[in-house]
Amino acid sequence: MKIKHLFFSILIAFAASVSSLQASGGTPAEQPQKDAYVEKSMNELASSFYNTTGLKAFISPKEGVKNGQGEEMTPFAQSWGRLIMFMIIFLLFYLAIAKGFEPLLLLPIAFGGLLANIPIANMTGDHGMLGIIYNMGIANEFFPLLIFMGVGAMTDFGPLLANPKTALLGGAAQFGIFGSLVGAAALSQYTGFVDFSLEQCSAISIIGGADGPTSIFIASKLAPELMGAIAVAAYSYMALVPVIQPPIMKALTTVEERRIVMNTTRKVQKLEKLIFPLLVLVMTLLVLPDAAPLIGAFTFGNFAKESGVVDRLSNEMQNSLINIVTIFLGLGVGSKLASDKFLVMETLGIMIIGLLAFAAGTAAGVLMAKLMNKFSKEPINPLIGAAGVSAVPMAARVVSKVGAEARPGNILLMHAMGPNVAGVIGSAVAAGVMLAIFK
Amino acid sequence: MDIVGESIKFMVLGMLVVFTFLYVLVVLMGVQAKIINKFFPEKKQPAAPVSGVTPDISEDESRRIAAIIAAISEFRKN
Repeated sequence: MKIKHLFFSILIAFAASVSSLQASGGTPAEQPQKDAYVEKSMNELASSFYNTTGLKAFISPKEGVKNGQGEEMTPFAQSWGRLIMFMIIFLLFYLAIAKGFEPLLLLPIAFGGLLANIPIANMTGDHGMLGIIYNMGIANEFFPLLIFMGVGAMTDFGPLLANPKTALLGGAAQFGIFGSLVGAAALSQYTGFVDFSLEQCSAISIIGGADGPTSIFIASKLAPELMGAIAVAAYSYMALVPVIQPPIMKALTTVEERRIVMNTTRKVQKLEKLIFPLLVLVMTLLVLPDAAPLIGAFTFGNFAKESGVVDRLSNEMQNSLINIVTIFLGLGVGSKLASDKFLVMETLGIMIIGLLAFAAGTAAGVLMAKLMNKFSKEPINPLIGAAGVSAVPMAARVVSKVGAEARPGNILLMHAMGPNVAGVIGSAVAAGVMLAIFK
Repeated sequence: MDIVGESIKFMVLGMLVVFTFLYVLVVLMGVQAKIINKFFPEKKQPAAPVSGVTPDISEDESRRIAAIIAAISEFRKN
């Protein structure tokens, strides 16, 4: 009898709370009232449909139309701006498909850009597909770290361990970052062309690290408003490494230097490779904890690979995981190619500084290698210095190609991989320094 | 604010840190290689048995193998 009583009282209390909830939630002022549908003639129906088409949005742009983020777009950005962006995107498609420049990244980025410029659909908004992807992993710097994990699992430190001093070349090439930092600062201080703050200059100059994930990581921490242009510059210049680097490499070296044959490297033990990632991580935690997310993810991937007991995990990082994240990263970065965000003076400035950064990094690496060749007992081909900008493994391949042009059969690939992987560590350290400065 | 002057300071600090980090790494890599090669030298791998037919197959067995191979090739022809 008592139980029945209790049951009824609970039921009544529940019903009362539900009805009160409904009463409080049902205020009409909170929800935008949708207009009731009124009868329309065929003409009205057709013209109201025309108003929702993209054609109308292109042909007659209006003031006050908002983009996905709820900011107003200028009429130019709505019409001509989008058309210009489509042309830029088709150029990216051409580079990716016909020229084969980093298609894995340029293609998703360019397609994301295409989607971002569709009028009315607002795909870059918080509830649009691209906006969701962006907020899921780029705004909070998560995707770059996952990519770094995969890159770590793919990297073989063997060539570096076999010839440790080539790591210094990976350090010299980071001059691309800091040299272009000064360049960016000078550009905004002495010319009225663009106005970058110190944080923005730093975020831009990281492009010189030739490392997409690091660039995105730093941009989202220091200058999220410039992320789109920075990522696009970083990835397009990485794709253009085979075009940008060779002229600089050839200008700074003589044919004799390019013909230098390097000694074969020693065989590296498994144990050395296993301990190396831990060594890097311990140094990071002692010197530069700010670089720990990047280097931590990287060394985790590498440690998993070298341990040899978790092949399932390391294969996952190297293949499926990095592929999935690449799709999301590409589309998310592409969302920043919306015309109103991309077609601004700052983008041009970023493109110029990024190119300068790549060139300076390559040059510094080559010059450092020349210097080391002078003082080293073993011959060092100065070309391998160019691989010190990260861009793994593209830069090393370019070095090998240029070397083979000067002396057919001279294979520098393995020698260039040393500075190449050291460059990844170097640019992560440089990024850590930037983060530490602005803390 | 003189951002150029400031950025030059960043450059000096940054390049110093990057070089020091990598230089220490180079030294540590050398030390590590020495220690590992001294205390944990890689065991000489015993010469792997030559792949192919192992020598100690009895006469009888090799005849059976020959018969199997012949049967398979006969089967593949059809």
